[in-house]
Amino acid sequence: MFDNFLFISSAALTVCGALAVVLSPNLMHACTYLLTSLIGVSGLYVTLSADFLAATQLVVYVGGVVILMLFAIMLTGGNDNKSVNKFGIEKIAPMGNIKTFTLAGLSALLMALVISKIIVNVTKAVPKGELPPFSSTVEKIGELLITDHVLAFEISSVLLLGALIGAALIARPRKIES
Amino acid sequence: MITLSSYLAISFLLFVCGIAVMIARKNIIAILLGVELILNSCAINFVAYTRFVNNNLDGHIMSLFIIIIAAAEAAVGLAIVIRFFQIRESIHIDDATQLLQ
Amino acid sequence: MEYTLGSILPILLGPFLAFVVNIFIVKKWTKLGVFLSCFGMFVSLFYSFRIFKDFVFGKYSTGYYVHKVFPWFDLKAAGVSNFAVDMGIYLDNMSAVMLFMVAGCAFLIHIFSTYYMAGDARYGRFFVYLSLFTTGMLGLVLSDNLLSVFIFWELMGFCSYSLIGFYYEKEGAGNASMKAFMTTRIGDVFFLVGILAIWTTVGSVRFVDIYAAIADGSFNGLYAVGLPLATFAALSVFMGTIGKSAQFPLQVWLPDAMWGPTPCSALIHAATMVAAGVYLSLRMYPLMELGGITTFIAYIGAITAFGAATIALVQTDIKAVLAYSTISQLGYMVLGIGVGAYNAAFMHLITHAVFKACLFLAAGSVIHSLHDHHTHGHVQEMPRMGGLRKKMPLTFIAMLCCTFAIAGFPLFSGFVSKDRILGDALVMATQSKAYWIPAFLGFTAALLTAFYMFRMMFLTFFGEPRDKDLYDHTHVEKLSWNRNLPLLILTVFTLGGWYSGHFFGGWVKIPGVEHKEWFATLIEKPRVENFKAYKSLPFGSVDTGADRVFEESQFNPDKYFTEKEAHHVHLVHAIGAWASIAIALAGWFIAFMMYSRGAWNPGRWVNAFSGWYRALQNKYYFDDLYVKGILQKGLLPFNNLLSRFDMGVFDRYAVDGWEAVNRFFYRIAKWVDDVIVDSVGVDGTGASVRFFNVILRTFQNGKIQFYFIIFLVVMVGYIWKLV
Repeated sequence: MFDNFLFISSAALTVCGALAVVLSPNLMHACTYLLTSLIGVSGLYVTLSADFLAATQLVVYVGGVVILMLFAIMLTGGNDNKSVNKFGIEKIAPMGNIKTFTLAGLSALLMALVISKIIVNVTKAVPKGELPPFSSTVEKIGELLITDHVLAFEISSVLLLGALIGAALIARPRKIES
Repeated sequence: MITLSSYLAISFLLFVCGIAVMIARKNIIAILLGVELILNSCAINFVAYTRFVNNNLDGHIMSLFIIIIAAAEAAVGLAIVIRFFQIRESIHIDDATQLLQ
Repeated sequence: MEYTLGSILPILLGPFLAFVVNIFIVKKWTKLGVFLSCFGMFVSLFYSFRIFKDFVFGKYSTGYYVHKVFPWFDLKAAGVSNFAVDMGIYLDNMSAVMLFMVAGCAFLIHIFSTYYMAGDARYGRFFVYLSLFTTGMLGLVLSDNLLSVFIFWELMGFCSYSLIGFYYEKEGAGNASMKAFMTTRIGDVFFLVGILAIWTTVGSVRFVDIYAAIADGSFNGLYAVGLPLATFAALSVFMGTIGKSAQFPLQVWLPDAMWGPTPCSALIHAATMVAAGVYLSLRMYPLMELGGITTFIAYIGAITAFGAATIALVQTDIKAVLAYSTISQLGYMVLGIGVGAYNAAFMHLITHAVFKACLFLAAGSVIHSLHDHHTHGHVQEMPRMGGLRKKMPLTFIAMLCCTFAIAGFPLFSGFVSKDRILGDALVMATQSKAYWIPAFLGFTAALLTAFYMFRMMFLTFFGEPRDKDLYDHTHVEKLSWNRNLPLLILTVFTLGGWYSGHFFGGWVKIPGVEHKEWFATLIEKPRVENFKAYKSLPFGSVDTGADRVFEESQFNPDKYFTEKEAHHVHLVHAIGAWASIAIALAGWFIAFMMYSRGAWNPGRWVNAFSGWYRALQNKYYFDDLYVKGILQKGLLPFNNLLSRFDMGVFDRYAVDGWEAVNRFFYRIAKWVDDVIVDSVGVDGTGASVRFFNVILRTFQNGKIQFYFIIFLVVMVGYIWKLV
């Protein structure tokens, strides 16, 4: 019962958040809705008995990435005020107008057609068996990370270091030669 | 009844929303939001398959790395956005056409 | 003495390396460069003296020679060498003597030049030319074949061009250098033709091969342009001599050569340039004999000797007198070749080189001292001189000795050599009537020579100074090493004893001293049949000469005569000798009466023979003839004809006709151009570019979302096909 409740509420949170991200006319709001959506995904992880991932999702995404995005939005002022580009042509509104939404809807529809076709095939193929009972995954993931996936683990650490340094380097304020 | 299909459906919705965001928005940060959505939809798929089909933890590891890469991507991407803003005083995607030449 | 590279090549390399180094340093370090030039000449002199000593006093044999060759290039076809040219060094008695003379004279001239040219703006450059000039002559003497002779010959032609035109600011100097170059070039062309004629017959241009071929009779029965080939080749080679040694009718360049600085005149007139022509003729003497042109040569020589001597009578420029005397003396040498006085002609070449170098240096000493304070130039005109013997006694002594020598006074070298030539001419005249005219002209020229040389002496050194101002400004001469020493050394060698072996003509015998007529013994006509067995060695080998040990030659002037002939020859020679002594004294006497005593007035003679006088003043109108007659009448109309042909025929028909053809093709080409190239090609390219541009611009718009949509569409297409 609790499982179902958790799944439905998480799913609702995720999907509604995502839709809100699409439809919100305000970037700040969109970002906040993304936050909601990601919390929902974290809940879905819990229903999938992936406790470590759910925690990581909360810590990294909700606590890190989205906050970072909020910072970026606030640093850049969110929506820029200039409505013409350097050629003097009027720009499309930052959050999109009816044309871009139509285009986006068509693309999404195209994608949806394909993916729904895949899903139909996949759900037919997957056998329905007993789900194993929940057991904590933290220990096993830690073990896997330093045994089977140690290479990827190390590479990701280098990647993160590189991203850290690179981001710091790129965003460093410099004098701009006009 | 919670089955694989329900997770796939959620993932599918997230993915479509992400694509819609990426195409509809002209703000670079908003596009990055769309990217996050798509990444998350993938991560859900991995974990769901692991749970319902494989019964091992490889999907978890994959999702973990997705989160890691998303974090890195967000950090670098936002750094670029800020840098771009410093140069152009704009984060409009249509201003970033220098590579056209 | 061993003949290796190290003992022969320094003769050539001394001045040549000095030249090469001097090119680079002489402008900055003039003194060092001048020293280098002199030192290079000294090295050359040292080594040539070693060879001279070895040949003359060591081997003392007529037939001794050193011949070293190295392959220069070898054109092979299918492994068979069909055109191989060897370069080499050929040394015999003649080249040994010649080398010593050239190196010695050139060294002394170098020394004198340090006095004469000091303070000149192009002091260093002069020495660069001098070194190269001497290199050319030494190389020519060392050469063993006509081809390298020609190379060095042309090198000397270039050097004389640059030395005569040394003061190129003066218009006369530039013209004179051009004239010298072009005139000698006429002879050079013939010389080259001669070389080719010889090469086609002999297959080699080495002297020894030519001699051997003559001995084998390779020239017999061959004809070229209607002449026997030997005659043709000999004439062509002799034309080279005519150009280089300033013989009639190409003598016009030598008087103008005095535009150069006086030391370079000394070098040109004495040791190098003009000597080369006579040397070549001597080397090719067997060919001249075979070709049967000796009479022609004798006539040319006699006419040159006489004509130049007459022109010298009326010259007032001291260098011009000397220049004409050079032509005259060269005429004697050629006359000597023509009458078969091989030995005497070569001796005259040597003795003349010595006393003419001395004369020119002395003249340079005089000219350099006489400085005109009004025009700031040197004075060369004899009418402005006079009485100079008190001011410059050493120069006077040198010049007097040389004048005795050139006039043919006994005890001096000119007597020994010139009178042998005249004696031989007389001998030939008694044998063949055709030689009476050359012999007569030769004796007359001897009289004129004595006269004009003493005229020069009297006008310059005796009597009262005619230009008092100039005389007073002239400093009294002090002995200086680079001014008087070369003169005095050369003066010593104007004594006849050095050449004839005894200083008193063999009449006074000094007990215990062996008198060797070394010159007459060692220098001998090449006997062509001896050269079939000659040997040449590769360049790097050490040659001890052990395989060519000849017995010591003995002096025997009657070697090739019967007793009766010898008696006749001796008699004629004695007559000739006494006649030339008398003639020399007569020449001196006339000059003395005219210019020292003033008893006979030369002006009367001038008035009496005014037509001749004008002709002599104008050098027999040779320059006028060449300029007006040949250049203006002959070459200019010919050139005009050519130009008219060019304009009338070639331009009208060939060029204009070609133009019409071109015009036709032009129309076709224009249509092709307009329709195909322009409309289809150029405009079509533009249009297609514009068309594709539209497509590509749409796709490549730089908008990432557009790319993303495209990506999505393509991916959807793939997946749709896949699933």
